[in-house]
Amino acid sequence: MYYHPWVSFIVSQGVPLQTIALLLMVPVVATLVAFFRQVVGIKAFGIYTPSIITFALFAFDPNGLKYGIAIFVSIILVGMVSRFILKQFRLLYLPRVAITISIVALAILGILVAGGHFHRTGLASVSIFPLLIMITLAEKFVATQIEKGSKAAFFLALETLLISLVGYALISWDMLTILILRYPWIILFTFVINFTLGKWTGLRIVEYFRFRKILPHL
Amino acid sequence: MFDFFRKSQKLLGMNARNLEYIRPYNRKRGMEIADNKLLCKRILKKNSLAVPLLIGKISTHEALEQFDWAKLPASFALKPNRGFGGEGILVVYARKKGRDDAWVKADGTVITIEDLKSHIRNILDGSFSLANIPDTAFFEERLTLLKLFKPYAFKGIPDIRVIVFNSVPVMAMLRLPTRGSDGKANLQQGAVGVGIDLATGTTTTAIIGKGHVIEYVPGTRLVLSGIKIPYWKEILRMAAEAQKISGLGFLGADIAIDRERGPVILELNARPGLSIQLANLSGLKERLDRVSGLKIRSVDRGIRVGMNLFGGEIEEEIEEISGKRVIGAIEKVKLIGKDGKELEVEAKIDTGADSTSIDTQIAEELGFHEALEEFERRVANRDILQELSKEEREKLFADIPDLASTVPVKSSHGTSYRPMVRIDLVIDGVTVPAKVSIIGRSHLEYPVIVGRKSLRKFLIDVNK
Repeated sequence: MYYHPWVSFIVSQGVPLQTIALLLMVPVVATLVAFFRQVVGIKAFGIYTPSIITFALFAFDPNGLKYGIAIFVSIILVGMVSRFILKQFRLLYLPRVAITISIVALAILGILVAGGHFHRTGLASVSIFPLLIMITLAEKFVATQIEKGSKAAFFLALETLLISLVGYALISWDMLTILILRYPWIILFTFVINFTLGKWTGLRIVEYFRFRKILPHL
Repeated sequence: MFDFFRKSQKLLGMNARNLEYIRPYNRKRGMEIADNKLLCKRILKKNSLAVPLLIGKISTHEALEQFDWAKLPASFALKPNRGFGGEGILVVYARKKGRDDAWVKADGTVITIEDLKSHIRNILDGSFSLANIPDTAFFEERLTLLKLFKPYAFKGIPDIRVIVFNSVPVMAMLRLPTRGSDGKANLQQGAVGVGIDLATGTTTTAIIGKGHVIEYVPGTRLVLSGIKIPYWKEILRMAAEAQKISGLGFLGADIAIDRERGPVILELNARPGLSIQLANLSGLKERLDRVSGLKIRSVDRGIRVGMNLFGGEIEEEIEEISGKRVIGAIEKVKLIGKDGKELEVEAKIDTGADSTSIDTQIAEELGFHEALEEFERRVANRDILQELSKEEREKLFADIPDLASTVPVKSSHGTSYRPMVRIDLVIDGVTVPAKVSIIGRSHLEYPVIVGRKSLRKFLIDVNK
């Protein structure tokens, strides 16, 4: 397989090809999140969470989607239930988040055990770091629950998952990986795209929907 | 499809709000005033704008322990200084009967000092502030509900959001708390937003929550349109003043009306939401564009511009029902004279005058120069026209084609005659053929007076 001389040079310095490919994918994923926010209007939990979940899903491969989504959904569900339980105790913020994260971690452990029991060995053998990354999602979720309410937090979580899935599709698309390793300079285009997005003042797609009732009156 | 995009140009979206309005017009200092309620209160008060009175504040856990609870009145509102979206606000209405360490909320829940302390600790820890930075809690007087609003508001106090840009109020809405919003006047929490006609302060269309269009107060048959908001001009003035004081070029001012004190400014928003467009079923971008670049020298001027530009929805309804156009006491009128010669002037709409009259110079510009000259020439030799009978007069001028007739006018120095010509008047888009008399009006303020005969198709609103 042919790589760009820069890539070959970096590989010759001992950097794994996978690392190069993923680092070069970071701008692509970040740009994707920015695009979803500014043009489509899908908010998600900032830019960090959907990006990191994208890579976590990717790290779950070969069964990234199946287990990734399952764990994501479990975290959100456990997060919602623990809020419901903890609400009555009126705890301060950080201890409350700590308890939520603990419950989430234990729940994940339970899922892994259950997976093993039902001979879903793929689940038990997923690497630990993407799991830990996913668990920290709970903090974002709890914070949003407090600030914007459970319903909003739930929808933001769904949006995060949606963006992460698109991101996942993008970085696991072989053509794109090959393209980037062959012509790494094309990631410079993400700067151009982001500059454009940063000056974009048009309506977001969801806003056309949000304001649809005004249009006949204009 | 093209039409769809052209129309949506009139809407203000999040991107444009942030990039074209908040970024360039709301500088750091103004943002700080808007985000810090106590600072905002102090500054507005210093500039003699009414705000809810401050009862006390708690900035640290030590201060909380030493706080003298006995000094709290029977009713008050507890707020986080840097709260947003109406979160973390606790309002009590009365003391619990027979106890001086407990109060009741609107829904009957009892709030003890312990409950207050726990809530204040949450505030101090930043549970309700942006990015959870530690915050200050403060108590302020509870506003009392205006009788007029009683049937419309569930528990809480309604408030009026006014968007001000370039000293001009551009859009406003009345926000009514509902059962769903738990007494909070916040649209995201399910309150009702009612659009307001800026010229009259009368409500128009309404939405609930995120944008469901409604006509009645939820669960009742109370119509939401047509509520006349008291102190309307005062409310607009306060909003415009607040903009000047805070330096926020793009401001959303929240103003409530207290039963005793009248309008008071609740808070200022440096990032006003966009749902106000839904409540008014109107685009904010279009309005901002119309106001941007205008030189507004005073607050009063700004209010006038806003009322003139963004009022009139009510008027349109009147026009629809009566089939007549509503015009003001002074209107721009287009005159179409001989050979289609056109001229646009400010005219006085005068229901005290029978017919319309125009200044000599205007008549000349409309192409009646020769007719006038000829008229003058014939009149010059006969200074006593009144001796002539109607027939003789008609005969005398019959060969001047442009001259429609003459009209006798009595004044202190006897009767004189004015020449009359036929022209078309275009008032507020409606063309009215008229026989107008020509007189020297150059010494008067308005070169054209539109009289009753030309006004049959109009209603006159002297406030306009």
